[in-house]
Amino acid sequence: MRNLTLRSVLLGLAAPVGALVFAALLCAGILAVTGHSPVDTVDAMSASAQRPRTLVNSLNTAVSYYLSAVAVAIGFRMKLFNIGVDGQYRMAALLAAALAGAAFMEGVPPVLRVTMTVLASMLVGAAWAGIAALLKVTRGVSEVISTIMLNAIATYLVSYLNNPARLAEVNPGSNDVKTPDITAGGQVPGFEVTGSSSKVYGLVFLAVLVGFLYWFVLSRTRFGFELKATGLSESAAVASGVSVKKMVVISMLLSGAVAGLVGIPELLGASHSYSLNFPAGVGFIGIAVALLGRNHPIGMAVAALLWGFLFNTANSLDTAGVPREIVDIMQGVIVLSVVVAYELVRRYRVRAEQHAVGHALGRTKTAEEVSA
Amino acid sequence: MALGLTLAACGSKNDSTTGGTSGTPSAGKPASNLKIGLAYDIGGRGDQSFNDSAARGLDKAKSEFGFDIKELEAAAGETDAQKEDRLRQLAEGGYNTVIAVGFAYATALEKTAKDYPDVKFAIIDSADPKVDNVANLTFAEQEGSFLVGVAAALKSKTGNVGFIGGVNVPLIQKFEVGFAAGVKAVKADATVQVKYLTQPPDFTGFNDPAKGETAAKGMYDAGADIVYAAAGGSGNGVFKTAKANGKFGIGVDSDQYNLPALADVKDVIITSMIKEVDVAVYDFISSVKDAKFAKGEKVYDLKAGGIDYSTSGGKIDDIKTKVDEYKAKIVSGEIKVPSTK
Amino acid sequence: MSTEPPAGGAPAPAVQLSAITKRFPGVVANSDVNISVRVGTVHALVGENGAGKSTLMKILYGMQQPDEGTIAIDGAPVIFASPADAIRAGVGMVHQHFMLADNLTVLENVVLGSEPRKGVGLDFATARARITEISSAYGLGVDPDRLVADLGVGERQRVEILKVLYRGARTLILDEPTAVLVPQEVEELFGNLRDLKAEGLTILFISHKLDEVLSVADDITVMRRGTTVASVLPQDVTARKLAELMVGSALPVPELRESTVTDEAVLSVDGLTVVNADGRTVLDDVSFTIHAGEVLGIAGVEGNGQAELVEALMGIRPCSAGTITLSGRDITRATTRQRRESGMGYIPEDRHRQGLLLEATLWENRVLGHQTSKPNVRGPLLDRRGAKADTERIVAEYDVRTPGIEVHAAALSGGNQQKLIVGREMSGSPVLLIASHPTRGVDVGAQAAIWEHIRRARAERLAVLLISADLDELIGMSDTLSVILRGRLVADHDPAAVTPEQLGSAMTGAGRED
Repeated sequence: MRNLTLRSVLLGLAAPVGALVFAALLCAGILAVTGHSPVDTVDAMSASAQRPRTLVNSLNTAVSYYLSAVAVAIGFRMKLFNIGVDGQYRMAALLAAALAGAAFMEGVPPVLRVTMTVLASMLVGAAWAGIAALLKVTRGVSEVISTIMLNAIATYLVSYLNNPARLAEVNPGSNDVKTPDITAGGQVPGFEVTGSSSKVYGLVFLAVLVGFLYWFVLSRTRFGFELKATGLSESAAVASGVSVKKMVVISMLLSGAVAGLVGIPELLGASHSYSLNFPAGVGFIGIAVALLGRNHPIGMAVAALLWGFLFNTANSLDTAGVPREIVDIMQGVIVLSVVVAYELVRRYRVRAEQHAVGHALGRTKTAEEVSA
Repeated sequence: MALGLTLAACGSKNDSTTGGTSGTPSAGKPASNLKIGLAYDIGGRGDQSFNDSAARGLDKAKSEFGFDIKELEAAAGETDAQKEDRLRQLAEGGYNTVIAVGFAYATALEKTAKDYPDVKFAIIDSADPKVDNVANLTFAEQEGSFLVGVAAALKSKTGNVGFIGGVNVPLIQKFEVGFAAGVKAVKADATVQVKYLTQPPDFTGFNDPAKGETAAKGMYDAGADIVYAAAGGSGNGVFKTAKANGKFGIGVDSDQYNLPALADVKDVIITSMIKEVDVAVYDFISSVKDAKFAKGEKVYDLKAGGIDYSTSGGKIDDIKTKVDEYKAKIVSGEIKVPSTK
Repeated sequence: MSTEPPAGGAPAPAVQLSAITKRFPGVVANSDVNISVRVGTVHALVGENGAGKSTLMKILYGMQQPDEGTIAIDGAPVIFASPADAIRAGVGMVHQHFMLADNLTVLENVVLGSEPRKGVGLDFATARARITEISSAYGLGVDPDRLVADLGVGERQRVEILKVLYRGARTLILDEPTAVLVPQEVEELFGNLRDLKAEGLTILFISHKLDEVLSVADDITVMRRGTTVASVLPQDVTARKLAELMVGSALPVPELRESTVTDEAVLSVDGLTVVNADGRTVLDDVSFTIHAGEVLGIAGVEGNGQAELVEALMGIRPCSAGTITLSGRDITRATTRQRRESGMGYIPEDRHRQGLLLEATLWENRVLGHQTSKPNVRGPLLDRRGAKADTERIVAEYDVRTPGIEVHAAALSGGNQQKLIVGREMSGSPVLLIASHPTRGVDVGAQAAIWEHIRRARAERLAVLLISADLDELIGMSDTLSVILRGRLVADHDPAAVTPEQLGSAMTGAGRED
C-alpha cells in the first residue's frame, strides 16, 4: 500500500505539472505565431516575479481567488454548482462596507467592529446563496440557473443600493460613487513589505483559516463525510440516512458564507469602501481555481497563487509589448489541459489500482487453493 | 520636433536610460524628450467609445510631435492595486507624462503621483485626486446634453423622446439629467423615456449594439421619435433601429455623422453631443511639451470648448439659431444646467 | 466450406490454447489455461463470475496479450496483437453488448470498417449479395436493408453474428449471448448455432447458465479462479455436478436449522399503503409481523411492490397510510437515520445505487449508513482509526478479498462488495435486517457465506425480512413465506411444505381464490 500512496502522490502531481508544461509550450507557440518573442515574455514575467510589488499584489489577488475557490469547492464536493459566488460576494461586500462605514460604528471597539463586518458579510453571502438552496429543495430549481439569475439580480440590487440616495455618497467632481470610507478603527491594517508600495492584506490569515476549516470539516467530520457521500452517490447517501435536502441547504449556506468573505480582505485592507471600482468577476475565477486545484485545500491555494501571479504579471507583459491577452489565453489553456490531464491520470490510476488488487489477490490464490 | 518625427511607431522598445524624470521642461524651453504613457480603462484602444477618444488625442499628438508612447490597458476584476501598478510601471519606465483614462484611476493615481513628483499626470473625468503634479480633465457633459435635448424637443413631432445610457453610473447620469433638462426647457410636457443598458459592474453596455437595438426598438414602439444614445459603441444599434423604423437618433462623444463606421446610418443622426476627450488629451500633452503644465481641474464645457453639439448633415439647420440661443445663455451663466437629479 | 467434420484421422483443433497465463487487472489472473476446441463443434466455457472466462476470450480475440502460453489456430501457432489479427486468422467475436449504429441499415452496419471498394466508390451491390448469401446459408434471416433501430434484440444479435461471418470468421466467440434474450429468442439462437455448426464453423460459447450449456454444447470446459479445472461432455454431467465443478466444492444449500422464532414482535407493519408520485397505489394495505429470530420471506414477480415495501420500511419513501412499529416503537414518521439508529440493517437490492460509494475507500464505505454510531464517529467528528479497525475486522470475518481497506469499492468484485455490505449491516447488533436480493449476482462461495451469516444472526434473535427472486433461497431461508402481488400480500405459505412450482404459480396470481 505504501507503494500505492507514493505513486498516487506522484500521479497527483503529474497532472498539473504536465498540464502546465503543455500550456507553456502552447502559449510559446501562440506568441511565436503572432510575432511576439516567447523569450521576451518569459523575461518580462521573471522580471515581474522579482518585483516585490507584483508579488504582494499577486498574494493579495490570490487571497480573494482562494476564498472564492473554496466557496465554489464546497458546492462542487456534492455536485452543486454555485455559479453565484460572484453575486454573493458583491452583495456581501457592499452591505458589509455600508455597515463598517456607518457612523454608529465609530464607537465600537476595533476588534468587535471588524468581527461584525466579517460576520455580516458571511451572513449576507449565505442568505443570498440560501435563496438558491430554498428554490432547489422546495421547487426543484437547478442551482445553476437560479444562481446565475441571482447574480443578475445582485447586480441590479448592488447598483440600486450603491447610490447616494441609499447607502453611498459621491464626492463633488468625482464620477465614482461609493460607500462612506471605513475609518481606521474598522480597517485591518496590512503588512508592509520592503520595496513594495502595496501591503499584504491583513486578512491573509482569514484565507488560511478558511482553508484549514474547509479541510478539517470535509475530511474529519461526519458532516464532511455526508457531503462527500452525497456528491458520490445521492441514492446511496439517502439510503444511509442522509437528508439530501438538508445537505443542499447547509452546503449552499456554507458556500455562500465563504463567498461573502471574498471581497472582505480588499475592503478592510485596501479600498476601505465599496465603489464602482470594486473588483467584480472574482466569483467566476473561483470556479477555474477550484477546478484547477481539484477542490483540494492545498491544490486550490497553489492554483490561486498561480492565477494571482499571472493576473498581476499582465502589466509587465503589456509594458514589454506582449499583449496582455496572452494571460487570458494562458489561463484558458491551463484549465483545459489540466482537466484533460486529470482525466487521463484518473483513468490510469483506476487501472493501476485494479491491477494492484488483481496482483495482490492473484498471489494469494495459489495452485493448491485453486484445486482445493 | 523634427527629431521626434523620425521616432518609430508605438510600442517600440526604448531602452534609453533617461531614468528618473529629469526631463521636466524648465523655464519655457520646449521639451523634446517627453515619453508619454497612457493607461486605458477596461476595453482599451478599439472600444469604439471613450478609450478610443483618448487614443485619438494621443495619435494626434504623436503624429505631430512624434513622442515615444506606451499604452497600457486595464482588465476586468482589478483592484486599485493593479491600476496603481500600471501607473507605477509607466513612471518607473521613464514615462514622464502619464495620462490615466477614466475616473477608476483616481485612488491609484493619488498614491502614485505623490511618489513621482517629477512626472506630470493627467486624469480624465475625475476632479480627484488633488495633487500638485496631476491635471484633472473634466467635462460638463450635462451642458452639451442640454443642447441636444433642446434640439430633440424642437424636432420631435410626437413630443416623446428617449435617452439610452450605456451603463448606469453617475457619469452617464449627467448626460441624462442635462438632456432631460434641455427637453423640458423647450417643451415642459414632453415625455423623456430613460433606459440604461447595463448596471455596474457590467460595463458591456458601452459596447453592445444588440442591447442598444432592443432598447431603442422599445422606445420607438412606445412613441418616441428621437433617441439620444449616450452609450458608446452600443449607439450603432440604436441608429440601426432608428433607420429601420424611420426615426431619428442623436450621437455622442464625437460628431458621429462623420464617423466612417456609421456611414450607412448617418442619415438618422440629427446631431451629436460632442465631448472632446481627444482634445483634452492632446491639449494636455501640448501643455507639458510647452512647459505650461497646469495642475488641478480643467473643466471642458460650452464656454471653454471641448463640449458642443454638431450640425453635420444639416438636419437641424432650421432650429440652429434657437439651439444657439440656449448655448449663449448657458455660456453666459443665465441657464445653469443641473448635473445630478 | 473446406473443413471436414471431425471424423477419422483427427484434424487439428480449431483453437488450441496452451498454458495461457495472464496477470491482468482484475480479481483473478488467468493461470495455466488449457483448452482444445474441436472443429465444427459448439464448445462451452463455463465458470462463475470472475473465473476468468472473459479475460481468456479477450486474449483469444487479440484484445489482450497473454503473459505466457500459446495460441494455435487450426494447428498453426499465432500471435494476436489486435482483434484485426484475430479476424484475419478467422476468429470473430460477438460481444455481449451490441456494437451497432442504430441509424444505419443492417448492410451499412455490416460493412462498416471493411467497406467493399470499387475504385474510389463503395460497392454496396456486392456486399448486399454476400450478406443475403450468408444470411440464407446459415438461416439467419437478416434483411440487409432494414434500419437497425427497427430490429429486436434477437435480430440485432444475428446482425452481430452476420457481421463476424462477413469478415470471414470460421471460429465465433459468443460472450454470454443469452444474457439479453428472452426464452424464445434463446431457442432461436441455439437453432442458428446448430446451423452454423452444421456448416463446419466452430463456436466458443461463454455462459454461466448451466441448463443452456447442457442443451447446446458438444464439449464443456469449466474454469475456476482463473484456470481450467475440467473438461467434460454434456451427457456425462448434470447441472448440479457442473455447478459443483465451477465452485470447487459441494454446492451450498439454502436451509435453516431448527426454528429460532420467538414470540417477541420486532417489526409490525399494519395497513401500510404507498402511493407513488403519479398517484398509483403501489403498496396496498400490507400487514405483517416479524419476530425476533424469524426470517420472513417475500416472494413475488419483480415489480409487484417489493422495492416500495423495502423503501417504505427504510423511510426512503413516504407512506400514505398505515403504521410501522419497531420493537414497540412507532417509527412510521421516523427518518431513515432514526430507523437505522434504532437497529435496522439494510442490504439494498442494487448495491451500486444504494449500498456503496464506488469511488470511496472500503473503510469509508464501512461508515456509510452508520455515520452516527461507534466506532465510526466520536460526536460530530469522524473516528477514522475506529472505522478503519472495524473495516479490517469485517474484511477478515466476512472474507472480503481485497489487498487492503484503502482501495476503492469499485475495484472489488461484486461478491466481495456484497460481503462488505453484509458485514457492515450486521455490525452494531441490529434487531432487524432488511435483505433485498442479498445473494444476487454473487458467486456461489459468497452466497454460502452470506446465508451462513444470516443464519447465525437469526440464531442471535435477529429478525429478517428477506426478498429474493431465487425461490430456492426463499424457501430454504425463510421461517415464514408471503407472496406479494400487485402491491398486496396475497398468500402465506409454509416454507417446509411449499415447492418452488407452487410458489411460482402463486406469484403470478394463478389459482388465487378471490
